[in-house]
Amino acid sequence: MKRRFVIKSLCIALLLAGNTGRGQAVIEGKVTLPRPEPVISPPPRYAGQVGEIAPPDPPVAVVYLEGEFPPAPTNHIHGTNEVLQLGMQFHPAVLPIQVNTAVEFPNRDDFYHNVFSYSKPKRFDLGRYRKDDRPPPVEIFDKPGVVKLYCEIHQHMRGVILVLDTPYFTRTQTNGLYRLENLPAGNYRLKAWIDDRHAYEKPVTLEPDKVLHVDFGTNPG
Amino acid sequence: MNTKIATVGLALVLFEAELHGQEWMDRAEQRLGIKSANGLFQSQLSGLFDLEGYYVDQRPPGLLFEDESFVNPRLTFFLDSKLGPHFYSFVQARLDRGFDPGEKDFDARLDEYLLRWTPGDSSVLNLQVGKFATVVGSWVQRHDSWQNPLITAPLPYENLTPLSDGDVPDSAAELLAWRRLPDNKDEWLPIIWGPVYATGGSVFGTYEKFDYAFELKNAGISSHPYAWGLSDTPWRYPTFSGRLGVRPSPAWNHGLSFSIGPYLSSDAASSLPPGRNIGDYNQLTLDYDVSYSHRHLQLWGEVFLSRFEVPNVGNADVAAYYLEARYKLTTALYAAARWNQELFGTIQDGTGGRDPWGNDMYRIDLALGYRFTRHVRAKLQYSFGHRTAHLQQGEQLAAAQVTVKF
Repeated sequence: MKRRFVIKSLCIALLLAGNTGRGQAVIEGKVTLPRPEPVISPPPRYAGQVGEIAPPDPPVAVVYLEGEFPPAPTNHIHGTNEVLQLGMQFHPAVLPIQVNTAVEFPNRDDFYHNVFSYSKPKRFDLGRYRKDDRPPPVEIFDKPGVVKLYCEIHQHMRGVILVLDTPYFTRTQTNGLYRLENLPAGNYRLKAWIDDRHAYEKPVTLEPDKVLHVDFGTNPG
Repeated sequence: MNTKIATVGLALVLFEAELHGQEWMDRAEQRLGIKSANGLFQSQLSGLFDLEGYYVDQRPPGLLFEDESFVNPRLTFFLDSKLGPHFYSFVQARLDRGFDPGEKDFDARLDEYLLRWTPGDSSVLNLQVGKFATVVGSWVQRHDSWQNPLITAPLPYENLTPLSDGDVPDSAAELLAWRRLPDNKDEWLPIIWGPVYATGGSVFGTYEKFDYAFELKNAGISSHPYAWGLSDTPWRYPTFSGRLGVRPSPAWNHGLSFSIGPYLSSDAASSLPPGRNIGDYNQLTLDYDVSYSHRHLQLWGEVFLSRFEVPNVGNADVAAYYLEARYKLTTALYAAARWNQELFGTIQDGTGGRDPWGNDMYRIDLALGYRFTRHVRAKLQYSFGHRTAHLQQGEQLAAAQVTVKF
């Protein structure tokens, strides 16, 4: 029984290796990012309220491929990601995930945070939890869309989880450069999302073993 | 008419918020901020619009000024500005029916304005001048309608004692007679009048788990709102207050506050015993506050002990406390409850006996709150209070409040 399982696993691994090893495309390029703007984060109004606010993450874009892909098994959880609360900011400020991915929200500050979202794809409120609370609160994001994160205690805190119905996505570097690898050949739509006001889209045709260069500028697609 | 317009406006806001989500309000919030290119100067305008309705079966309790059920709209603007890491200013302006609900038909005020200097790079030391909320107690930090789980304030912050700031009793017997009268809201004093936006200066800061705050203000913590402005009360008899706090863990917060200063206004000066002035009669107050929170539960409690030095009477002591809880039942819905009690000490009645100088009272406040979006919330509150007196005042109170935050 055990031997059969090992052989079966090896076969699946070889099949997967064959799929990802050859004939796959790459897209690379640059997204023109908005200039990092200083965030308006006034200090506490009243005595007795604590905290020093760290600067937020610089802006980045999420680049992802949309189209017809082989369907994923339903209710399959695609691993776990993290959104930290540190220095009264969310890190990362923008997290792309695939639908049905779990996200943990560990608190790394010495005081409480209370993460919540009222976005349509996911409404949740984690309540107040501290640094050493184990396990950290976790949510599974099962609908695609933009989930905006806030903290009930620290109203300047902003974060976004971009829940994507595709396994092919990446986050740009802070200079806008990105590289998407192991992409299937075919015709797709390549999208870049920065925020509600800055989203771009281009049709792309991917050929096996080719690298496609796509830049996203200031003109929305 | 104004109330009808406000109601229709609020209904439209709720409809719009539900229809289009919170996107446009998020954008509006972003557009209300300005900053210089290098971020040195930042200014953010924000606000709250409250529409409250109060249903009372008798003359309303506490600091509700109408004699019957009424509707109370309130528009509050906040302007937070920062110049570099060391200077901060804050302004709170309000359009409403008076500082306390139903006090006037219409009123527009600057409730708070302050300038803060933080000399160092941390929050260990802050110096502040202006007209701003007191450092006494812990309710002040959550007193606006968005942060208060209930609609009304805790009992120590709004229940009136029979003591007046402008009228001096001729004897203990007269003070004992006053407690049998209905609340005289234009003259009587609570232990602490809401957030006490009096004028003055403060020094405060935090260091690791500890925080401290001291202030010197022109009016006492029980003083009427009309005494808080710079031109309303001269600086001859200031009030000194402070709070020391410790947070042993993120879940717990303890604080010990004190306040000492005159509570009589200049109107009382001519009624004082010969050779005395209003600075000879102080209100001395001690307050312990504690809070605990974890996940969806938040608990708060405060105990006040206050002594009024009353001309022709002596010391009149009063104690009050409350315990408050809030629990989030779902992402949008929460329940809150608050148990309040106020107990009056005794004074000589002039015939060799002692009598309490006020009417002991208990009150329970229950509320449900629902958050429609990040910007819109509604609350319902029911309160039942009882005094140890023949004269009851606002035994039952039902209130509703819708708040739009922008």
